[in-house]
Amino acid sequence: MPTALSSTDPDQAYDAPGRLAAARRSVVDVAILFRFRKQAVRRRHLARVLSLAFLAVTLGAAVVPAFLPGAHGAGRAFDILLLIPTLMAGILVLNIGSAIGSGGGRELISRDQAGPHPISPTTDHLGALVLAPLNIGWMIQAWVLLGSVSYSVMPGRLVQAQVTMILWILMGTALGQVVAWAVEALRRGPAGIVISRGMLVAAVLVAGAVQLTGHTARVLDRVPTVWFFAGGTSPPLTWRLWETVLVLLLGTVAAVVVGAVPAHVAARRMPRDEARMETDQHSPRPMPRSVLGILVRTDRASVWRSVPMRRGVLVLAVGPGLVALFGDLKWAQMTILPGLVASGGALLFGVNAWCLDGRGALWRENLPARATTLFDARTLVLAEFLGVASLITILVGALRAGVPDAQELAALVATLVVVTLQVVGAALRWSLAHPYPVDLRSARATPAPPAAMVGYSARLATSTTFTGLVFSGCAHVPDWRLSLIVGMPCVMWSATRLARTRRRWEDPVTRARVVSTVAA
Amino acid sequence: MTQPPVVDVRSLHVRFGEVEAVAGIDLEAYAGQATALLGRNGAGKSTTMRVLAGVVPPTAGTVTVAGLDIRTDTVAVKQLTGYCPDVGGLVPRATPWEHLQLSARLRRLTGWEERARDLLERFELGDVMNRVTGGFSHGMGRRLSVVLAAMHEPRVLLLDEPFDGVDPIGVEATFEVIADARARGATILLSTHLRDLAVQACGTALVLRGGARVAAVDAEEMAGEEGARAYRALLD
Repeated sequence: MPTALSSTDPDQAYDAPGRLAAARRSVVDVAILFRFRKQAVRRRHLARVLSLAFLAVTLGAAVVPAFLPGAHGAGRAFDILLLIPTLMAGILVLNIGSAIGSGGGRELISRDQAGPHPISPTTDHLGALVLAPLNIGWMIQAWVLLGSVSYSVMPGRLVQAQVTMILWILMGTALGQVVAWAVEALRRGPAGIVISRGMLVAAVLVAGAVQLTGHTARVLDRVPTVWFFAGGTSPPLTWRLWETVLVLLLGTVAAVVVGAVPAHVAARRMPRDEARMETDQHSPRPMPRSVLGILVRTDRASVWRSVPMRRGVLVLAVGPGLVALFGDLKWAQMTILPGLVASGGALLFGVNAWCLDGRGALWRENLPARATTLFDARTLVLAEFLGVASLITILVGALRAGVPDAQELAALVATLVVVTLQVVGAALRWSLAHPYPVDLRSARATPAPPAAMVGYSARLATSTTFTGLVFSGCAHVPDWRLSLIVGMPCVMWSATRLARTRRRWEDPVTRARVVSTVAA
Repeated sequence: MTQPPVVDVRSLHVRFGEVEAVAGIDLEAYAGQATALLGRNGAGKSTTMRVLAGVVPPTAGTVTVAGLDIRTDTVAVKQLTGYCPDVGGLVPRATPWEHLQLSARLRRLTGWEERARDLLERFELGDVMNRVTGGFSHGMGRRLSVVLAAMHEPRVLLLDEPFDGVDPIGVEATFEVIADARARGATILLSTHLRDLAVQACGTALVLRGGARVAAVDAEEMAGEEGARAYRALLD
């Protein structure tokens, strides 16, 4: 007698939920997954303090500039007022770029963990939206916009203007996600990689042509954000204001809903660059002569064969370089760039540097090599990765900057050395203190949980920006030796801290904790 | 036994914070012998293997491998051991050949290539030796881990769950590796949940429970229905 279920048995058939029910279920799933992630937060007190700090800074940015001298006046405040639509457009562009760079936004739960669970692409899409603000770049953009509005818009219309700006930021984030999913779906389709790269090159060429032909101001004057800003600052309780708010609200909801469509298309397609990376043949190369040489080669392969790292470093190295090129940045201002690029580069893997070995960490730890040699190899590869990215940025930015003076060159070289050491030291310190088991296969993977990434990026951005500004000041002083004098103690301080981390890595108990964690 | 044990573990304790993963294990393993480590999940098998591989330092107790103290001569012990970890064990973006090159360079091996190719062929990995291991199936990964552990003909072969998810051809090749190692006088420690395979491959079996050793018997005693009942009784 057959015991298997009959395919014709209506009671046993699986009833797929309708679209509305599926969407409702996805929203509930996002809440469940968010709570799951929240439970894994190790230092909850710190997380609470950081959340409160975020709210306090946001509130401060939205209110405090209104009380500063010169606010709402005809001078600088008016100049800033004119720039606000451009800032709004910049937020949209950065949101799109960030979401595309991370292959459709960050994962609320990693692909491997999500695998066995019935998590739909809609949940994935909504999760990426929830995580989008957990990014220091997103936060700084939001604070700058709110601060600019607060400083320049007259007090009677400030609240409505800020509400409009918040809605714009939300809509920009959701629109960024829609574009990113669409690009990801395209990338995964036939000839997708070639098409998406072609589109990127075309976009860069168009932006370059607009800038180099002097049409930037005209284009920026006509960006559609002018309509939203004018609406948000129109007289209170008028139809124009309500219309703006309504369009933003509807636009946000529409973007959130529409984003699920390309997310589903992308989910049905194989991530081509990952698949290619995992099936590529790498011809054997001659054996390096030294132990350090082969360790460096292995680590280098781990970095450059990873999709998120290749994609991330391309965006990081070329993006700021193009901004510097088209923005006609001077040499003295360019000292900001190495810090920005090195910080971003460290966030690709450096802040959890030992995760590069993945589950191979246990096998590697059994190899008869001195712990310090392993540390040196990882340090060199990280420094090389950050240094190369910064150099590319500077080279691209230098195309229109002319020949630098001796003091400008010295300031730039000193910045490059100091921030690279600063970032490498900090990244390896954190890697030792807070290792995470992470698989960096996916373009959406990050080396640490989102909240930790915010903390790392904030600390790196603060320290490297400060360093960049100090050396920018040095570049204006007509004596190249000043940069060396300022740079020397910075190098010694960072080198001492790096040496201390190296000594800690020699401790077998510390190493065992790190290795067991990243291999888990 | 007249000869001294190659692996000598006395009152081994390993603690991770509040958790005591190994609570006083004693273990002796001799040259030319294969010893199975059996026990439930969390019995301390993999942690003991990690200690012997020099990956995790002991919290208390003494561990010597070929007379070398694992605390003070860690790198020398690593030189003598070949380790197949219980999870993964492969660098995801390196190829099998690059793994072998790394191991050979760090162990200062010469003329290893032929043996490496032979092992890869025996484990049916010859076709993928230049592909990154990130795209490997679980079974392929396990097989490569055994190759990496055995390639340099270590004096102590540590195989942690080498049969997990491996097809019959891989199991046979692993048996051959164990037999070869025994024949050249190596000491083998094999941790597995597959009792039948452990009985086939090893002469002695140690049963661990709650981080401590509860029995040391001839592997034969763990064979068949009778052995299954005896093993079951030791686990409870």
